[in-house]
Amino acid sequence: MKSGSNLEKILASGQFAVTAECGPPKGTSAKVIQRKGELLKFHCDALNVTDNQTAIVRMSSLSGCVLLKQMGVEPVMQIVVRDRNRLAIQSDILGAVALGIRNVLCLSGDHQKFGNHPGAKGVYDIDSMQLIQTLKLMRDEKKFLSGEDISGDVPLFIGAAANPFADPFEFRVVRLAKKVKAGADFIQTQAIFDVPKFARWMEMVRDRGLDKKVHILAGVIPVKSVGMARYMRNNVSGLSVPNELVDRMADAKDAREEGVNTCLEIIEQIKEIDGVHGVHIMAVAWEDIVPAIVEKAGLMPRPVI
Amino acid sequence: MTGSKPNTKDEYPPCKLACPISTDVREYVQLIAERRFEDALHAIRKQNPLPRVCGRICIHPCETACKRGDIDEPIAITALKRFAADGPWKETVKQTPEKALSGYKVAVIGSGPAGLAAAHDIALLGHSVTIFEKLPVGGGMMAVGIPAYRLPRDVLASEIKAIEDLGVELKTSAAFGEDVTLDGLRAEGYQAFFLATGLHLSRGLNVEGEDLPGTLKGVEFLRDVALGKPIAVGKRVIVIGGGNVAVDVARTALRVGAEDVLIVCLEKREEMPASDFEIEEAREEGITILNCFGPKRFLGKNGKFSGIEFKFCTCLFDEKGAFCPRYDKTQLKVIESDTAIIAIGQAAGLSFANKEGISVTARGGLEADPVTLQTPVENVFAGGDVFHGPRTVTDAIATGKRAAAAIDCYLKGKPLPVGDSTETPERAKLAPAVIEKTRKFSRCSFSLAPTDQRIKGFGEVTSALSEELATKEALRCLHCYLGARIDREKCVSCLTCVRVCPLGVPTTSKMGEIAIDPFACQACGMCALECPVQAINISLHTRGKIAQDIEDAVAKSQHPKSQYPGPLIVGFFDLHGNFSYSDVQDLGRDYPNILPVMVFGLRRIDTSDILKAFQYGADGAFLAGCPSDVDPFPEAREKTKQRATHAKAVLQAVGLDEERLEIFDMPNHGLVKKEKIVELIQRIGTMAQARSE
Amino acid sequence: MITTEQKKFEEIEQMTKGYNRLLVLGCETCSAMSFAGGQRQVSELAVALRIARKTAAQEGEVLEDAIARQCEPEFVDLVMDIVADCDAVLSLACGAGVQMLAERFPDKIILPGCNTMFLGVTEEFGVWSERCAGCGSCTLDKTGGLCPIARCSKRLFNGPCGGSQNGKCEINPDIACVWQLIYDRLKGLNQLEKLQEILPIKDWSNSFHGGTRKIVREDLKL
Repeated sequence: MKSGSNLEKILASGQFAVTAECGPPKGTSAKVIQRKGELLKFHCDALNVTDNQTAIVRMSSLSGCVLLKQMGVEPVMQIVVRDRNRLAIQSDILGAVALGIRNVLCLSGDHQKFGNHPGAKGVYDIDSMQLIQTLKLMRDEKKFLSGEDISGDVPLFIGAAANPFADPFEFRVVRLAKKVKAGADFIQTQAIFDVPKFARWMEMVRDRGLDKKVHILAGVIPVKSVGMARYMRNNVSGLSVPNELVDRMADAKDAREEGVNTCLEIIEQIKEIDGVHGVHIMAVAWEDIVPAIVEKAGLMPRPVI
Repeated sequence: MTGSKPNTKDEYPPCKLACPISTDVREYVQLIAERRFEDALHAIRKQNPLPRVCGRICIHPCETACKRGDIDEPIAITALKRFAADGPWKETVKQTPEKALSGYKVAVIGSGPAGLAAAHDIALLGHSVTIFEKLPVGGGMMAVGIPAYRLPRDVLASEIKAIEDLGVELKTSAAFGEDVTLDGLRAEGYQAFFLATGLHLSRGLNVEGEDLPGTLKGVEFLRDVALGKPIAVGKRVIVIGGGNVAVDVARTALRVGAEDVLIVCLEKREEMPASDFEIEEAREEGITILNCFGPKRFLGKNGKFSGIEFKFCTCLFDEKGAFCPRYDKTQLKVIESDTAIIAIGQAAGLSFANKEGISVTARGGLEADPVTLQTPVENVFAGGDVFHGPRTVTDAIATGKRAAAAIDCYLKGKPLPVGDSTETPERAKLAPAVIEKTRKFSRCSFSLAPTDQRIKGFGEVTSALSEELATKEALRCLHCYLGARIDREKCVSCLTCVRVCPLGVPTTSKMGEIAIDPFACQACGMCALECPVQAINISLHTRGKIAQDIEDAVAKSQHPKSQYPGPLIVGFFDLHGNFSYSDVQDLGRDYPNILPVMVFGLRRIDTSDILKAFQYGADGAFLAGCPSDVDPFPEAREKTKQRATHAKAVLQAVGLDEERLEIFDMPNHGLVKKEKIVELIQRIGTMAQARSE
Repeated sequence: MITTEQKKFEEIEQMTKGYNRLLVLGCETCSAMSFAGGQRQVSELAVALRIARKTAAQEGEVLEDAIARQCEPEFVDLVMDIVADCDAVLSLACGAGVQMLAERFPDKIILPGCNTMFLGVTEEFGVWSERCAGCGSCTLDKTGGLCPIARCSKRLFNGPCGGSQNGKCEINPDIACVWQLIYDRLKGLNQLEKLQEILPIKDWSNSFHGGTRKIVREDLKL
């Protein structure tokens, strides 16, 4: 065991893992996280707390994870390299581990120009790949980047993101390989809507034997409305939303029901793909629907190890 | 041509270089383009005393050399000269002697172009001069050699009168060697002499029967017709000879009774020395030409000329190019005719030479130094045809002017001019890319009267250009060597000129040294404007001149201000528009508060120029562009619009309404529509009012 | 070259208000080539200021001049007399030039008429784009001659990020994704294996993050 986290144990046991995401508030109330934690406690193996997602300032991921931990929910801390330099990152890791956080997801982060503080200076001291390397260094060699020793253990389960749909397509798997080489233990992919394309990517992953080296959790987003579908297709870079989905949502009598059904169909299909070890449900501003999805996908009850 | 020096022979425009008088063609063509016709004539008369003549009969080597000919067709320089010289303003353009009478007296023998030109210049230099002319009329070959249908008698008379008005005395029917002699003239106080007696005799063929009654000599024939003497030509006329005199003889014969005129010459068509356009006009009039035949003998019937037996000329020039006709005597041709006129060459009448002690050359002309034109007799100079052989009127004028300068030096005891010994450079060539990128415009030149009208009499065959066409033609000039020059000290090798030139003329070296071929550049002004460090100067319509013109236009209106009611509006007009000089005058009279600034293309106006108008005190401004079909650089029009738009933005930023500035195209004819002016005055007037309140 | 953009006229007018004798000083190298601060722009701006001041009935005079480079003391000193005669100087040079003027004329008000943008290249006449971040430790050999610091919006050394689509950067569809370009370039050079290597963490201490920089060449000092 690298970290002994629940997520690690479940993946190590070969069972299909479920993770979900919760967004912290744009405020100081602990109740928001607590309510979401309550809601999803038994429906997922670990819960991501996003880090200033889309460059909008929210309560920090670290503090959100602590609140979850206090409730007995296993958190996944997210770190974007946009907002912190190597000193702050290493410092936060030391604190996170001390506070019982084990799962860490390494991300570049959406550019600050998208967010609510577009004039801010983006840090980008190290990139997400180098962040993975840093965590691995701290955990496995118990060293800081400066080369000095860290006192105490640094048990971490290191995660990274992957986007099978970004360009250049053929390079994506190479990049995944780099992340694995850098030290990634698990991957959460960008939301999948084009299953055949994802399947092609997984084939390339398997060809390189990467499925044996890293646990891949396929990302899904349940779409709430045709407006949301259109927005994601037109405005969110990195998401590949096919027109058929937008049409389906437009034609549907009950958009929400259609959205859930679509999501379930996708989960059903990806479960069958060799090398996919779990699903990561990103119910953006719709965390309430996650329990229903997990249930209807036949993924309940969650294993307890 | 890198390394060529401006204002030296290296950079004489091709027209100037080709002209025997070294006329500043470029300058007067530009003045015509600017509608400054009186100034154009001033400029012409400064160098040429006989512009009305040259504007009709010069063989225009300038046109042959003209760079425009590489693009489409050469500028119709002769027609433009005639336009400037014939115009109604000619009455006010008179040369005046700058110097008071020096007391020296000069005698000119012969009132042909050489003699007249010499007398003209000598008079301007302040000396007293008398011309002695053998014939009863003045003008030399211009009067008795060139037919009236090419040079009307009244035109020649007016030119001679202008020279007489300088104080030159013309004495006709005074033959040198008989009525006047050197000794006699010296006794009368003449201190220098210029002999320009011309070539008024015809060469003979030296063949059997050439003196039969019914044969005439060309030079004498033309003279007799010109002097109004009765001439008898038969219905069928053969003219022997291939030069301009032969063509003139043929066309004259047609006008004095001949019905069927045939020119026979040794030369092949392309070898004929006569000008192409003369031959063309002759052909149009029905004259036929038989090439490659020479007379073997003249035939007679009953003691009168009845025809010529010709032999075929197999080739005319030997390997060295010398005149050496060879014949095939077996190929003979007999042509019957009523009259033969022999026009194979001219000769000098030099009966005075021996008596007066004037030195004669082996060729049969007067001996003189080729540079100073001084004969072996110290105070006797010679020029014109009698000196250089049969050449053009312009060549003769050139010798007359040179002689005048030399005589002036001689009289004052100064060393005689040494002349320009620099090599005449080879005429540069234009790159095909530049030719391709230059917009083509068709040439406007003389129009010819219909042939059936022409041969009825001696009325002038060609007619002049109208003001509209002359302006249009002058605007085709490419302003050789007036283009962009880079100030090396300022240039930063930013490559802007390389990029913005519409013709692709500037090139760069690896080290950033930019070269602009002064021959290829057409002085459009764009690189000079765009250069971010203002390192480029254009000699045509400099940026400094534009700024000065704007300042002057506004300054003129300030004194007194009350003279100009209404808002002051600076109008930038593109000279390429289809407007006349009177249009500009009308505008000035009707709307004196519109202050025109004329530019060779709105593409020369930068944003700062527009703003300067306001800085100097104008209330408004407009840019009137030429119609796009006459714009030589249509690609620049968009840029000009952008500059105007930018200027509007700046006006807004400085607190002036952007509506004070407008850009529009001139109408197809005229300077600007009246309604437009009224609209502008009203709009800007309101704004000006509002501001001052 | 260093690229600059002239500030908006309103901002310049505001900045220069109250300084009666104003010198507009151009710079004939980078700023001129950016068409922001050479003699031509100086002329235009000076005329605009004169008109604006006339409208506002402001006293004084607007003078104009330009020197080859405002970053060199010898050139700056050549305008010493003109500057001494003025209340303020509006410099159209890059920030370095403005500061050199302020250094040489500490008793004068020196104002920046341009915004200094970036180190870049001319793509075509009128279009410039950023190329170099001045990081002080060039590793263009690793990325096929394309700089991820200057041209990647997130300064990734192991890009592209998930936002790269159709070869464009997620923050601006007019900007190419430099990691797509790097990929294409290395593919063309048959050097794609370079991309399998994880580029190490950047040492920023030689860039401006390491503090303001200075180069001292003992071999050149007189």
